[in-house]
Amino acid sequence: MDPQSRITVVCGKGGVGKTTVSLALGLKHANRGRRVVIVSSHPLPELAIAVSLEGIATRFPVAAKNLFVVHLDPREMLQDIVKDNFPMQMMADAILNSSIFRNLVEVAPGLKEFYFLARLQELAERKAAAAGADGPDYEILIWDAPASGHFLTTLRAARAFDTFLSGPLAAAGAEMDRFFSNSANMEVLAVTPLEEMAITETIEMSESLKRDFQLRCSALILNLVSPLVTANENEIAEIQLTGESSPALRFAMDRGHLERERAAVIRGSIPAPQICVPRIREWSNDLDLLGKVGDWLSFPPGAEGRGTA
Amino acid sequence: MKVIVYLGTGGVGKTSVAASTAMAVAGTGAKALVLTTDPSLRLRTALGLADGITEQQVHLQDPNAGELWAALLDVRATLDEAVRLYAREGMEERILKHPIYAMIANSLAGMQELMAIERLDQLRQRGFDHIIVDTAPSRHAFEILDKPALFADFSSSRKVKLVGRTYRFVEGLGLNFIGKSALDVYAKAESILGVNLVRQILDFYSLFYPIAEGYARRAEKTVEMLRDPSITEFRVVTTPQKALRDAAFFIDALKERNFAVGTFCVNRAWLHPFPDSLPGGLAGEVLSWYKSVSDSHRAAVWRLRETYGSVVRDIQVFSELERDVDGISALERLAVQMHLNEPTAA
Repeated sequence: MDPQSRITVVCGKGGVGKTTVSLALGLKHANRGRRVVIVSSHPLPELAIAVSLEGIATRFPVAAKNLFVVHLDPREMLQDIVKDNFPMQMMADAILNSSIFRNLVEVAPGLKEFYFLARLQELAERKAAAAGADGPDYEILIWDAPASGHFLTTLRAARAFDTFLSGPLAAAGAEMDRFFSNSANMEVLAVTPLEEMAITETIEMSESLKRDFQLRCSALILNLVSPLVTANENEIAEIQLTGESSPALRFAMDRGHLERERAAVIRGSIPAPQICVPRIREWSNDLDLLGKVGDWLSFPPGAEGRGTA
Repeated sequence: MKVIVYLGTGGVGKTSVAASTAMAVAGTGAKALVLTTDPSLRLRTALGLADGITEQQVHLQDPNAGELWAALLDVRATLDEAVRLYAREGMEERILKHPIYAMIANSLAGMQELMAIERLDQLRQRGFDHIIVDTAPSRHAFEILDKPALFADFSSSRKVKLVGRTYRFVEGLGLNFIGKSALDVYAKAESILGVNLVRQILDFYSLFYPIAEGYARRAEKTVEMLRDPSITEFRVVTTPQKALRDAAFFIDALKERNFAVGTFCVNRAWLHPFPDSLPGGLAGEVLSWYKSVSDSHRAAVWRLRETYGSVVRDIQVFSELERDVDGISALERLAVQMHLNEPTAA
């Protein structure tokens, strides 16, 4: 993980484990004493609650003090903006409660994404500013991004305001577009299991990030892989010699074979180090699961050894 | 006509389950159509899916089978078509070239559910016995039911129409005073969101509202059809690992909207027969890995049955396929695992 980057973005197809990886990564670094903020635009799933429970203080005492998970609700952000503009409570409430305003916000395409990006940029800049001052607020900012389609739409929101409109929002959009299209600000971690649809979507996402935003994946996190992905040819050949041929083994072997092919496909398309996270076999609770996933997230990317395909 | 709507989070194999259901239904002699939002390339090829607003027939080997049709939800094409069909005389080009239209088309995520309803309205006239809908891969799939109302509300709001008309009138006179007008909320909205954006939105909806109104009327009928349990069943696709969380979420969300909870499909379960004793070495390691995952799958399905068995209509478990998960033959194998049952008027 690159401490210089302002935002570490964890992205990928829906359902691939972005939130799990974001939380595991945050927990791991927080437990090493770094102050971590994890940001998402979607309501936090049950898993995120694990890191805010009492259990964390016993199992990860250092992390408990250093880890913060924030849900930036676009609707709440708009409320703040209205309240900033109209300090009189009554006036602000009147606007917020007016169905016209609510509907305007709902139907203005990209407006919620626009405000989310604005707030995220603010957080990233605060992080950079604090690093130079007497003590940083937080050193790592992780964005648990929405599923790839919506992620790209979110990034495009800033540009759409700049392209299609004029005035102050367009100017802000242009400025935000510059920020989020700058690879110095964004460390992109793409998460994918070795399944056909997920890798196709990850490759498309990576191409779109490169073409439209000049962003490159810093690392690929191959999630939920089988033990065969990291095995070598000799080890695999030996399995045949055991004479075991149950349907379960055939299934596992087929799957391992497919996964190795797919890892090669993705290596050919996205030139980034691959970090393998196997399917965790047993865990006692959500926090335990996050700790175990974190053990496999060995950074900086490019480091050879355990977990690198 | 019967409709099955599949709901589920990403990565559970919703599209494959939907396509297999259509195939299984066609196998009984019916004329079935699967409407899919985001198929994989191989499934797209297998089903002969093309962009645009036409549906394709899929060739079936079985001579006794009915017809299997597949359609892709092309959001932009569906929206363009609605504009062409329902725009007022001469307004079509202005709408299609409007900056807000470009932005709406850009934020496809939000339009997907709205256009699924529009497409369903087009398709219900075509004489299919069964329409199987594969919704967008998210927990927000319910927007297919919630959003049309919101959209209709806005575009038919009298004030929007009034402002839209005033705006056009004012624009025609070459004046520019709407921000100072008595329409207070708009003035305030302008100061927050920017004059330009608000005016562009108003201008756009002044052109677009006849389309939105027509859309709202059609959507109302379609949503009514989705609300009718003798026509429509909502099924949830999940995986063993997500089963309990998904059940809690989807059962609540369906109940909240007064929909009957249909069949739960637990897809991608690892249930292959397992040897009695483990060999050594990597083979043993692979097998014990398989077994631990398989055990957790069985346990999850058991807990799902214990907890929700009496609440949902049926729980079906599908075994994960080894290869070719997206080809026609894979759909056939998945279809074999399904025991069909008709939506009931329960």
